[in-house]
Amino acid sequence: MSSSQNVDPASVAPQQREKDTKDTRRGEKHTVSRRLQQELMGLMMSDDKGISAFPSGDSLFNWTGTLTGPLGTVYEGLQYKLSLEFPQGYPYKPPTVRFETPCFHPNVDEHGNICLDILKEKWSALYDVRTVLLSIQSLLGEPNNDSPLNVHAAGLWENQTEYKKTLLERYEKDVRSKDFS
Amino acid sequence: MQTTVPVNVPNVPPPNKTWELSLYELHRTPQEAITDTTEIAVSPRSLHSELMCPICLDMLKNTMTTKECLHRFCQDCIITALRSGNKECPTCRKKLVSKRSLRPDPNFDALISKIYPSRDEYEAHQERVLARLNKHHNQQALSSSIEEGLKLQALNRAQRVRKHLEEPSGGDLGQPRKRPKTGSDESGAEQESHNSGGENFCDPPEPLNEVELVFKPHPNNHEDSEHGSQTSPADISESCARSLSGWQPSVPPTPEAVNEIELVFKPHPSPTASKADSQTSDRKFTRKYIKTTANATVDHLSRYLAMRLALEKQKEDVAGPPSVGTEEPQYTIYIAPTPGQFVALTGGMSLEAVNEKHWKVNRPLEMYYSLKK
Repeated sequence: MSSSQNVDPASVAPQQREKDTKDTRRGEKHTVSRRLQQELMGLMMSDDKGISAFPSGDSLFNWTGTLTGPLGTVYEGLQYKLSLEFPQGYPYKPPTVRFETPCFHPNVDEHGNICLDILKEKWSALYDVRTVLLSIQSLLGEPNNDSPLNVHAAGLWENQTEYKKTLLERYEKDVRSKDFS
Repeated sequence: MQTTVPVNVPNVPPPNKTWELSLYELHRTPQEAITDTTEIAVSPRSLHSELMCPICLDMLKNTMTTKECLHRFCQDCIITALRSGNKECPTCRKKLVSKRSLRPDPNFDALISKIYPSRDEYEAHQERVLARLNKHHNQQALSSSIEEGLKLQALNRAQRVRKHLEEPSGGDLGQPRKRPKTGSDESGAEQESHNSGGENFCDPPEPLNEVELVFKPHPNNHEDSEHGSQTSPADISESCARSLSGWQPSVPPTPEAVNEIELVFKPHPSPTASKADSQTSDRKFTRKYIKTTANATVDHLSRYLAMRLALEKQKEDVAGPPSVGTEEPQYTIYIAPTPGQFVALTGGMSLEAVNEKHWKVNRPLEMYYSLKK
């Protein structure tokens, strides 16, 4: 492979190149499924506390995850459902992760979109469903209030008593009453 | 003319610069070379993270190592990662300018093929599973492919458990890691993995809290009733191992400690049950031990039983199509607190609760099953 490094890419026959991309694309879906399957196996066998995930329908590319609020935080005891959507380029591209259960949090907007660097520019192919869910779980207790999606929540965070009151009220109203979780 | 004026070359580091040794470097001592036939067994589990590509989660293939931070990836994986993402090491985020920041690691590939000479076989199996998965592409296919994986692991375990039973009970726990040469690397590693709770390369960790179940033929209905209740250790161990991982609790293991319970399973000696039994008698439905979480319910047990019998049947008529998922017979589970008295159990009851309510004695729970009408 080292010898090929010095070959001018333009000198490669165009047909040859076309064939290469086609092969890669066909192989892609295969490897994505394989990796997701490996992750599923790992998740089923692990006993992580407070997180779980499983494909939500017929496709391996859409999962539903659940996580519980971390102990010792205002989110303790609350349960949230999330959707994970894996692109064809996974794990080189991050999954799209959204809160399905309404979540009152500085870094979550009203549609459930999450502002988290590792799901965007800081994504690495080494992250997986497990680490993503664990990261979101810890984000609950440690919000980044400098770039909030929910300004109200960010402003309230300083006063934890007040925050918890609002959080629980919302959870009661948006989640428990609608049997969302 | 002055020719020896010292010139300050900016690139040369200050002469008194010394390398700071890390704590590890300060304290490390050379490993003594092993010259006799001593073998050191290493659990395949502990190797798993070393031999695995963190991107595809498979065994490393055409290993590439990052030149600066020394992290390993499959060639295909790291090249795709560099092409499609940030130009940094996926493991530690160290800058990787291009493919030139990587070097092939043929020694590592050689190491892997030494440890796993049957790798091709393993991969071929994975291929087949995936092909089937892609064909059906639904949840049922997914779960059956997982089943398939579990069956394969169970085969592995069967060997290990047998070894375990041959040894005097409890004697193997304190064994030192060094031991005389007994066989190939692989078998040594396997045995070690059993002792230390480690697993084979593709094995998942076992669930923490487990209940033991014993399946054996009912003495009333079997032609081998006299000696049927006494099966050889090998029989037990094999069926035990096969069932060990065939049983997957759908309830996630709870963090609370659950007691271990042993159970014996027999066909119900009633007319309906003998029908179910006649299906099994010609297959020599011997004692079977399985392990599962103590919070598994009677429903789990009956579903397990249905699958298990279906699988046995499938094995008999090899030509038959796989019957998993198609109408599974329903079973009722009974317990006999005193001989001849059968109490049907409700589905939602956990095995632990059954044990507490109906059994109490400190020996395997004896349970009976019959086909549901």
